[in-house]
Amino acid sequence: MELDAKIPGGHLKDKWDRHRFELKLVNPANKRKFDIIVVGTGLAGGAAAASLAELGYNVKNFCIQDSPRRAHSIAAQGGINAAKNYTNEGDSIWRLFYDTIKGGDFRAREGNVYRLAQVSNNIIDQCVAQGVPFARDYGGLLANRSFGGSQVSRTFYARGQTGQQLLLGAYSSLSRQIAAKKVEMFTRREMLDVVIVDGQARGIVVRNLVTGELECHEAHAVVLATGGYGNVFFLSTNAMASNVTAAYRAYKRGALFANPCFTQIHPTCIPVHGTYQSKLTLMSESLRNDGRVWVPRDMGDKRQPHQIPESERDYYLERKYPSFGNLVPRDVASRNAKAQCDEGKGVGDTGLAVYLDFADAIKRDGKDVIEKKYGNLFQMYEKITAQDPYETPMMIYPAVHYTMGGLWVDYNLMSTVDGLFVMGEANFSDHGANRLGASALMQGLADGYFVIPYTIGGYIAGTSFPEITTDHPAFKDTAKEVRERTDKLLSIQGKRTVDDFHRELGLTMWDYCGMGRKDEGLEKAKKKIQELRGEFWENVLVPGNDKDFNQSLERAGRVADFLEFGELMVTDALARRESCGGHFNEAYQTEENEAQRDDENFCHVAAWEYTGDDKEPEFHKEPLDFENVELTQRSYK
Amino acid sequence: MSETINLTLRVWRQKGPRTQGSLETYKAIDISTDMSFLEMLDVVNEELTVDGKEPIAFDHDCREGICGMCGVVVNGRSHGPEKGTTLCQLHMRHFSDGDTIFIEPWRSKAFPVIKDLAVDRGAFDTLIQAGGFVSVNAGGAQDANCLPVPQEDAEKAMDAAACIGCGACVASCPNASAMLFVGAKVSQLALLPQGKPEAAQRALSMVRTMDELGFGNCTNERECEAECPKEISISNIARLNREYFKAGLFSSVM
Amino acid sequence: MNWFTNTLGSSIGKKLMMAITGLCFCGFLVVHLIGNLTLYGGKDFFSAYVEHLHSYGPLVTVAELGLLALAIIHVLTGLTLFFGNLGARPEGYKVNKNAGGRTIGSLTMPYTGILLLAFIVLHLIQLRFVNYDETMTVFQNVSNTLSQPAYVIIYIAAVIVAAIHVSHGFWSAFQTLGANHPKYMPLIQGVGIVFSLVVGIGFGLIPGYILSL
Repeated sequence: MELDAKIPGGHLKDKWDRHRFELKLVNPANKRKFDIIVVGTGLAGGAAAASLAELGYNVKNFCIQDSPRRAHSIAAQGGINAAKNYTNEGDSIWRLFYDTIKGGDFRAREGNVYRLAQVSNNIIDQCVAQGVPFARDYGGLLANRSFGGSQVSRTFYARGQTGQQLLLGAYSSLSRQIAAKKVEMFTRREMLDVVIVDGQARGIVVRNLVTGELECHEAHAVVLATGGYGNVFFLSTNAMASNVTAAYRAYKRGALFANPCFTQIHPTCIPVHGTYQSKLTLMSESLRNDGRVWVPRDMGDKRQPHQIPESERDYYLERKYPSFGNLVPRDVASRNAKAQCDEGKGVGDTGLAVYLDFADAIKRDGKDVIEKKYGNLFQMYEKITAQDPYETPMMIYPAVHYTMGGLWVDYNLMSTVDGLFVMGEANFSDHGANRLGASALMQGLADGYFVIPYTIGGYIAGTSFPEITTDHPAFKDTAKEVRERTDKLLSIQGKRTVDDFHRELGLTMWDYCGMGRKDEGLEKAKKKIQELRGEFWENVLVPGNDKDFNQSLERAGRVADFLEFGELMVTDALARRESCGGHFNEAYQTEENEAQRDDENFCHVAAWEYTGDDKEPEFHKEPLDFENVELTQRSYK
Repeated sequence: MSETINLTLRVWRQKGPRTQGSLETYKAIDISTDMSFLEMLDVVNEELTVDGKEPIAFDHDCREGICGMCGVVVNGRSHGPEKGTTLCQLHMRHFSDGDTIFIEPWRSKAFPVIKDLAVDRGAFDTLIQAGGFVSVNAGGAQDANCLPVPQEDAEKAMDAAACIGCGACVASCPNASAMLFVGAKVSQLALLPQGKPEAAQRALSMVRTMDELGFGNCTNERECEAECPKEISISNIARLNREYFKAGLFSSVM
Repeated sequence: MNWFTNTLGSSIGKKLMMAITGLCFCGFLVVHLIGNLTLYGGKDFFSAYVEHLHSYGPLVTVAELGLLALAIIHVLTGLTLFFGNLGARPEGYKVNKNAGGRTIGSLTMPYTGILLLAFIVLHLIQLRFVNYDETMTVFQNVSNTLSQPAYVIIYIAAVIVAAIHVSHGFWSAFQTLGANHPKYMPLIQGVGIVFSLVVGIGFGLIPGYILSL
């Protein structure tokens, strides 16, 4: 298979303009003749469903929760980047593009990232017009802050709830189109397969989570905006329902999966405190602007933090990275925390935590100032841990947060299956090997508001569609396969619960395919996953039936896919014989313990093709050409 | 330091929307006080599953207090006894060994029970569809800084926009009224210049829809404000009232 | 006029009617209390007030009809809201607990309202629909009535009920009218409490004074 990213020619700055001109248009009067399925209602899905309906297409929109407003984009705290340069610091589209490419450790496409930076400004305009209450200065103009190690203040924010406000903006636009009957909304539906007719994605099979019924839906194109796969680790900052199933089913139907091993571990989360734990809570990265990260200088020092004198503390980030200090990028901060804990310097009951100390900031600025900046975060921390961060240092530890990998898409956001588009976190396209803070919201909305409305038109205008209905055999066959799988899950009636399997899978992934990876660990993980998968299909216990609201059955299907997908991640991690961004193989590091890229051999996208159950996937390579930036070794010293 | 406690749960079990439900008794043994309330339910569900019984159905998703998916009435209190807290962020350290905990679903004609503790809050979506938006298409917006918004207005709008749509206001209102939910959305958009052009239409349409959906009438009991996990103020209800009278009596919108 | 009935017919519109009629009754209570305070000035002072009031002739009838209209609106709307609210939660909670918003006043609003209605009917029968002449002056009737222990108990209970009703009703009317402002709301709430105390004490002491005569 030849992977053609379809990046338009011409200078980087002109590519998107040129492409929009070259894309065929669908006559406004004809748009109503075309149906588009959008799966997911997060920033990408919600924005796309609304925008496509505004253009006149008939949209069917699906979400797994009880309302489109619940998608996990809602949990993003920090902000959204845009190259507005309102702060007069010399920001530009080019700088945002460059920072994103560099932050991604040079494993993303120049063309895509440049387009992202270009449309970033339109996003802010659009959201403000929708009534998103961004933070403002006294003069009434928009406020900006610096975020995640960026040297310019380009992040727009709405308190610590930016994701929520942007999502509710998209949701309001979507609601308007639902009221106008241009979007038909299906809530509490889980996509279990994509239906392909004559090589074109023409529909999906979903389970109605309330009645248990399998439903077939037909359309001219299918758009997946189904989020990331961080829950393969069981514990992550993702929502409980976040899963890989939609993307993985598409993969099994012929869409290539790109860079699955690129996962982002966020450095400032509340540490794990028990085996019953169901989820990890992220604390905004902005805390690192004022907090100082430290561990005891000596191994196994179990004293309380205030009993450890200054001279016996190791502010390791400040020591190792004097110019960036506590503000090094996420992957660097995370890896260093793990390294300290691996050396036995971790703090807290589990030894899997480091301190984030605000004592100096409080001394410098006063408690009031700190409270104004971080009051809600401190409150949240206290609520969860019952410790007061004004008095005692916070304890933090890294947690899986975002997945850069995803279904392979070309410049039009179309996967290797015709008519199957993928957006937001579910695709792989813009963040390379590591995502910068405040860029996820930007990408989701860029894809949904400003990319897919054009590119899907180009596809529809240039394609002939055979007339089909859901009576087509392809729908019948796909639905039958889905039903058989559900029946099988229910028929096993083994001894172990779904969560039990999931927890074990997560632990394996975290230990061997987490922040620091080793070849032998990865090999071991592969074997363990295969064994666990084998046991799952013989010993899983799924109560109830498929005729009603059965949350155990929902989870069983998702975990079954994670058990296959986890192996794909490990395979990808093993194949990438370098370290870059979120993929850190300990065999490839610089003397400063930084990720050591191998640009000669691995400056490419690894895209995997499904070849059959229990068969190795087939590797495809999309080389990455850098014409506008010079590949450099990241250094935050 | 965490400790463990034992609890008796009295949980509402109901097979489906049209069947009768009842309170069933379960034991929650060795519950760590560091657990969240939902993690406690997870533990109970794991045990029920292994015992061959059907686990308790309840809605939840983000488990960090922002998605608005979770919510049950715990001992007569929406999202439990802690102020400004969603159920997923309620920790078991707020309960004592030996406690009996009553767990019931949101009760409202507009929120029918789907199963056990899960209810259908589609009525909230219908409310937003009735006017909780600004009619702008993607692509047509002017530069974001063309329209200054006084910081105070932006802050008040944000206070209202913090609503997570969980339904606790309806659940805790003695009249099952949705005025805080509608008030928050109408206020957010009434405070911002972007929302002004459609303000009259929005207020009338959302209030009429609210009445049609079967929510009760506000009698200023203030329970919604007291239970709202985002502590949204009833001053937003007063603003809704003003917007409504303005629209109904003085605008040309019928 | 469709727009008018539509506006007033909604849940908020009904509340508007409750608020406006309720505030009118608060106004009436003030006037009524001021009038009644003349009792403390003795028989002659009170009779002078009664005479002065009656000198308005037909205007009094107009005012009474106005009060009747307000009462009909207040009671019927109140009952509509009450039954509507019962229907909004067909299946109640097994455990009910106050989260701190409700007060005795707000909790009992429909019930204190119905009790007040019953008392007002009794009160009118006793004191308004009576053929007053030389043998039976208003003052005599008042002092006779308020000398019966049963009526005194009912009267004092009703005054307490009215005070409770007003303690929620007063600020609630402002909230419904949209007059909730961070600077003024505490004042309005304070005035509401003071007002309910004044009503309770002002009316409540009258029987004691009469008995002491």
